[in-house]
Amino acid sequence: MSKMYDTIIIGSGSAGLSAAVYAKRAVLDFIVIEKEYMGTGQIAESGRVDNYLGLYGENGFDLGEKFREHAEALGTEFLESEVISIVKDGNAYKIALSDNSDILTKSIVFATGANPRKLSIKGEEEFSGKGVSYCAVCDGAFYKDKVTAVVGGGDTALEDALLLSKICKKVYLVHRRDEFRANKALQNTVKNTENIELVLNAKPAEIIGDKKVTALKIMQNDEEKTLQLDGVFAAVGTVPNSKLLNGIAELDGNGYVIADETGATSAEGIFAAGDVRTKQLRQVSTAVADGANCIFSIEKYLSNV
Amino acid sequence: MALRVNSENFESEVLKSELPVLADFYSDSCVPCKRLSPIISQLESERSDSLKVVKVNINFDTELAEKYEVQAAPTLIYFKNGEETARLRGAVKKAEIEEILI
Repeated sequence: MSKMYDTIIIGSGSAGLSAAVYAKRAVLDFIVIEKEYMGTGQIAESGRVDNYLGLYGENGFDLGEKFREHAEALGTEFLESEVISIVKDGNAYKIALSDNSDILTKSIVFATGANPRKLSIKGEEEFSGKGVSYCAVCDGAFYKDKVTAVVGGGDTALEDALLLSKICKKVYLVHRRDEFRANKALQNTVKNTENIELVLNAKPAEIIGDKKVTALKIMQNDEEKTLQLDGVFAAVGTVPNSKLLNGIAELDGNGYVIADETGATSAEGIFAAGDVRTKQLRQVSTAVADGANCIFSIEKYLSNV
Repeated sequence: MALRVNSENFESEVLKSELPVLADFYSDSCVPCKRLSPIISQLESERSDSLKVVKVNINFDTELAEKYEVQAAPTLIYFKNGEETARLRGAVKKAEIEEILI
């Protein structure tokens, strides 16, 4: 008979790493499965994190590394692999991995997070990596003295616009509403930056180019306009990585796994943590709290199985 | 430790290299680049007899990025006898890189 784990943590972002720390302290038999090599989730992409208590001004990548080091220091074992499917197997779950191996576990911490949302417009796929980017920090330098657009209205979009304004000749900030969701401090800085032009009430319609991107077609107040530019950065939020739970646990209309603070999903033994679950605020602080809560719930669950 | 190259020594170090060359076009503070870096180092030491690894920092060497139409970091380009034979984009897995190193 193959080994049965107490729990398997899927995902190594803030939620998964926090769950690992709590699971070690609870002396559970578990491993963390991660898709990415040495991953720490979306926090790594953040330039500067100013709202995580006690670590003011830390950059996102370093903060993620600290979380990981903490989990490693307690002896957490990581497995780099992709989960292909989760199937109920009596009182337990069978997790199938991309290398054709299986893992048996009594419970699961589902902390798969979220990925950048696509614009879903014509030309996006074709020019991805040739003028369409989802990471201003990574690709901004390719647009020195050029013209770019950022699409979106949240913190990430405005941070990206600011970053690009220091590299590019001009940055259009294209947003579908006339107000931003981003925090007020960020909005003020953006509005006071000379080479950022706000393009409000505007939806992107098509990315145009030949070998590379040359323009972005938009619909502004029902009028079609074309912005001549060299690059488009999409920052229109995220989509939850919840596909694996399709048909196993209940998801909401946007694909988030329905779970409250305890992490309990509609599937017995599966607990959701971090950005993938339904919640009001998706931040490092709430992801870390979720990881802790899930392990507490799992300890209770295991004592009853 | 991989050699940093720029437009001045690219021809001599890459295009005229006897060994095939894997060029890593990366940018500063780019997370996928940081994740890829240790994998590239592993390949470099494992294949020191058959592979040369160089790095191009696109924050400084924009000329090379433009010339090779690199617009996403990280991008790996594999050169054999001065010719590009394969290209990979993003934080790819080690096995995917090994596949192009032929």
